[in-house]
Amino acid sequence: MNITVWSGRGSLSERAPLGVFVRLRPWLGVLPFAMFVGAFLLWPSFSVFRSALQPVEGSTKPAMLEAISGQYLGSILFSMRMSAITATLGMVIGTLVAIAVVSLDRMRGLRNLMVGYSAVAANLGGIPLAFAFVASLGMQGLYTKMLSVIGIDLTDMGFKISDFSGIVIVYLYFQIPLMTLVMLPAVDGLKSTLREAAANLGASSRQYWRSVGIPLLTPSLLGGFLLLFANAFSAYATAYALSSRGSRLVSVQIRFYLQGNTITGKSNLGYALAAWMIIVMVVAMSGYLGLRRVSERWRR
Amino acid sequence: MKRNNTWAKFLLFAVGAFYVLPMLAMARFSFQKVPVIKLGWSTLFKNWTIEPMIDSVTSDRFLEAGWLSLRLAFLSVLLSLLILVPTTVYVHVRLMKARAFVELLSTLPFVVPPIALVVGISSAMRSTIPSFLSSPFSLVPFYVVIALPFTFRSLDVGLNSIDLKTLVEASRSLGAGWMRTVSSVILPNIKAGVVSASFLTFAVVLGEYTVASLLLKFTLPAYLAEAQGNNPQGTFTVGLLLIVVTALLLGVINRVTRSKSQVVSNIWI
Repeated sequence: MNITVWSGRGSLSERAPLGVFVRLRPWLGVLPFAMFVGAFLLWPSFSVFRSALQPVEGSTKPAMLEAISGQYLGSILFSMRMSAITATLGMVIGTLVAIAVVSLDRMRGLRNLMVGYSAVAANLGGIPLAFAFVASLGMQGLYTKMLSVIGIDLTDMGFKISDFSGIVIVYLYFQIPLMTLVMLPAVDGLKSTLREAAANLGASSRQYWRSVGIPLLTPSLLGGFLLLFANAFSAYATAYALSSRGSRLVSVQIRFYLQGNTITGKSNLGYALAAWMIIVMVVAMSGYLGLRRVSERWRR
Repeated sequence: MKRNNTWAKFLLFAVGAFYVLPMLAMARFSFQKVPVIKLGWSTLFKNWTIEPMIDSVTSDRFLEAGWLSLRLAFLSVLLSLLILVPTTVYVHVRLMKARAFVELLSTLPFVVPPIALVVGISSAMRSTIPSFLSSPFSLVPFYVVIALPFTFRSLDVGLNSIDLKTLVEASRSLGAGWMRTVSSVILPNIKAGVVSASFLTFAVVLGEYTVASLLLKFTLPAYLAEAQGNNPQGTFTVGLLLIVVTALLLGVINRVTRSKSQVVSNIWI
């Protein structure tokens, strides 16, 4: 029945230059969608870069260059360090959880529970999650008090939920389950047959992991790391709720430059930091998507 | 083959505790009116009450924020479906070679963090169309964009899993128009995809804070941030409520899609 729809086009499309338009005509169907994304995503993004390329007041350098020097670079590096730490911890723990879940395969209920909750927890964050951790490990938090009863005083140890280590712990709440979800298909994929084959050839458990398991998991591991890194790097609401102004994270700093009316002329710096954020995200996410393609190849 | 699984059990127990304990602490602060300092074995079960919950959910500010969030959520779901269902169906039926292009556009929101998006919005639109930004409903298209990677995937997976060409040809040859083909043949067959796309959009809108707060819109998360100071107990309750509602929404998605691993990156942070 599609024939009726397409009739007559074949002959026309061979004739240039009209043919070009005729061949492009079906693309009109995706035009409304493309225009929507253009207006509400691409236009704002380009606008970030346009402002970022303009100089800060009293300077001739574009703000984007200014943003990678001195204290501004400091906040970008701080964000990257934080993201790398939570991504590393999340990667290790999340992967171990995936392996644990698969190795306890006989307990189906446990697996379903863990996977189901991971799917929820990977999406929690922002203000509600920050509150949950303030209730737990804040100054007046439930577990802060419980620990102090048995002689562990978190405040004396210098722990504060709004500090670096506090934010790392809060971020792990969504980083670990996200990694588990990323790794499960990969860990599932190398389950019984490979292990049995290795055992038949006389490999010990350690040899199996070193020569078979880990090499096969590597693309997923690296991809997962990049995804987690991007996830933490783009986070704003959670950190903001934990330590409203004090945080040096680049995402929180951006708000400071754009809302702090006291420092006039610095708003382009906010745009510059946002532009660098987008660049870091593009690198991390394309790495993730590329590695995901690699890891899916051998699973088919 | 005998394997020692003790470490696995221990690890899952520890991680499980890490997942559950913060929620329990939040529940305690929501429903128990005993200061932490007085908490002990003797007061463990004292003064549990839903009074703070009733108080906060009947307060004017909460109702104002909740009503706005609810309307934004429904409108975003509607706009999402209105834009994406025709586009994805069109691409799958007519122009498969455009799929990569649509997929690319749908993946782009991943690389623009909400904080960068919102500063871009004010830079681009504050000077050109300020009246648009002053309406609270200006958030709707941005929420559709933020949810795009998830909504596109849900619908795309749904359309991939059915024999679309045959269904469409059968429907058309029986004399159905395009509208009718979409509404009574295609949509019922990709119900799971439509449901999960809608619920995900709903969850995004309920918890999104960054864009709403920088555009000064008073949604539920903004209410949480505001009430933090003057009604701490109420904010714990509302925060818990948001988490529970979102967990239910995501739980339904997992059920209907039955996908082994739904890998998404975070929607609220």
